[in-house]
Amino acid sequence: MSAAFTWCIAAILTLSLLGLPIGHAMIGGSILYLLLAGLDMSTAAEQLLNGLYTGFVLLAIPLFILAAEFMNAGAITGRLLRFCDAIVGRFRGGLAHVNVVQSIIFAGMSGSAIADAAGSGKLMQTMMTQNGRYPPAFAAALTAVTSVIGPIIPPSIPIVIYALVSDTSIGYLFLGGVLPGVLIGLAQMALIAAVARRRGFPVEKPTPLRALPKITLDALPALLMPVVLLGGMYSGVFTPTEAAAIAAAYALAVSTLLYRNMGWGDIYRSLLASARTTASIGMLIAGALAFNYVVTIENIPKALSLYLQAIQFTPFLFLIAVNILLLILGCLLEGTTILLIVVPVLIPTAEALGVDMVHFGIVVVVNIMLGLVTPPYGLLLFVMTNISGVSLSALVREVLPFLWVMIGALVAITFIPDLVLFLPKLMGYRGVS
Amino acid sequence: MAQFIEKAGPWLRRRAENVIAGLFAVMFAAFLIQIVFRYVFNFPIGWTSELTIVCWIWLVLWGAAFVVTERDEIRFDLIYAAVGDRTRRIMAIVTGVSLIGLYLISLPAVVDYVTFMKVEKTAYMKIRFDHLYSIYVVFVVAVLARYIWLVVAVLRGKAPAAFDPTQASSGV
Repeated sequence: MSAAFTWCIAAILTLSLLGLPIGHAMIGGSILYLLLAGLDMSTAAEQLLNGLYTGFVLLAIPLFILAAEFMNAGAITGRLLRFCDAIVGRFRGGLAHVNVVQSIIFAGMSGSAIADAAGSGKLMQTMMTQNGRYPPAFAAALTAVTSVIGPIIPPSIPIVIYALVSDTSIGYLFLGGVLPGVLIGLAQMALIAAVARRRGFPVEKPTPLRALPKITLDALPALLMPVVLLGGMYSGVFTPTEAAAIAAAYALAVSTLLYRNMGWGDIYRSLLASARTTASIGMLIAGALAFNYVVTIENIPKALSLYLQAIQFTPFLFLIAVNILLLILGCLLEGTTILLIVVPVLIPTAEALGVDMVHFGIVVVVNIMLGLVTPPYGLLLFVMTNISGVSLSALVREVLPFLWVMIGALVAITFIPDLVLFLPKLMGYRGVS
Repeated sequence: MAQFIEKAGPWLRRRAENVIAGLFAVMFAAFLIQIVFRYVFNFPIGWTSELTIVCWIWLVLWGAAFVVTERDEIRFDLIYAAVGDRTRRIMAIVTGVSLIGLYLISLPAVVDYVTFMKVEKTAYMKIRFDHLYSIYVVFVVAVLARYIWLVVAVLRGKAPAAFDPTQASSGV
């Protein structure tokens, strides 16, 4: 590691800690490196621009963001919730179960946990706290933890980013996320069932079976979306990036033509909101493209890989260490930052130790999703305190039991690789082992 | 002058927003055209995928330059949010001045690189790369202007803007 690189890291850390936007901090640090190492200072710009120009797979990100915006602006979300209520509302703690089930179904259309919490999560919060049914803090905590499922089940923006940094097939990664996502949902439902009686959670009025066909038909366009998306991707009809565009077009068509509750103004606002999010995540990616070039010419990932092999790190120990590292980082950092900066450094080691890249990717993404609900820095916690008006500490207290259950699921996903790899293998994936 | 900028600012910002919303719409439309041509007419076309990429680059850098505000940029704010106004002002000055210095030093090399790229053109639409990449120069200049403005404002005693992490969604 050269002195220039040490200064580069110091500059990025200091500037970020002092509050400079992370994208700018990474570009600035890379410029400092080039300056100190006596290299051409346009290299940062060159890497960044060429990286954006050739990063075709990145286009899935803005399109998935747009799809989520369209779904939330249209009435797709509301109809889905009614359907879930008809199915699981009749059990004790019914609405709490509805919250989990809608997250699982919604996850099949949306790739962003924050979008889920802000869209369907907001509706769930209102429904659950109406007439004092559930304590607001519990409702908000539940909405935060169920939103976590969104990017684990495909489509998923974090998985697209992982695919980019690891050069792994998005298709297999998406498939790999399905069972872990469902597993986390089931774990949450088990916890709800366990506490429902003690806490006296209400039962919803059972929907008569007669009404079920109508409600299902109403929600059908929304329910079909995951089928269209995943079916299209795995039959090889379209690529994941195209699937993202089709998802957005489908959501737009359903909201404007079928449900007819979206006007030009809504479309413009959705486009602008998506563009704004795209620009701020794009800035982070741009910074990472410049910085990752520096990391590569310094040979850091290779050095780490050789070191860990030299001290006879086993895959088992490595995965434990990665889980602990990412959970701690998740308490402090924003998820995309971890994916773009920390994960690329770990990938060569994972490969050298013979860890399957699809399995590793899902473990990483689940970790990063848990980071969204771990204090002090958990974006979903912030979103839910905003939506619900509950204090952060009350929210965290209610989140903790769920967090333990989800960490349990994470342990299972980490040490039973087939939980991840079963579906990809079924579709023809040949792992490394 | 300052008053003029205060007044023109919001108007210009809305126009800048029109631009990225428009770029996004074109990108989305080009994608759909590509899919329709490939699967419905069985006639793959290349210019659409190039257009989507061009829109994407301009969308990100234009947006970062003119639309994304202090409030919705992704940053590490555990310390920034916890300290008092005085400390936060010092932090804003330190980071602002460092950023201005680094971007300024690299600016001549960046301009050189972008103008040098005039020798290459994109494959389908024959867009010269210096035109395509010029948005990066615009981005650097806009960031410089914004941070100089911010540092001057803070030096004059204005508190730096607070940060709202929920506005700064990075799509996870």
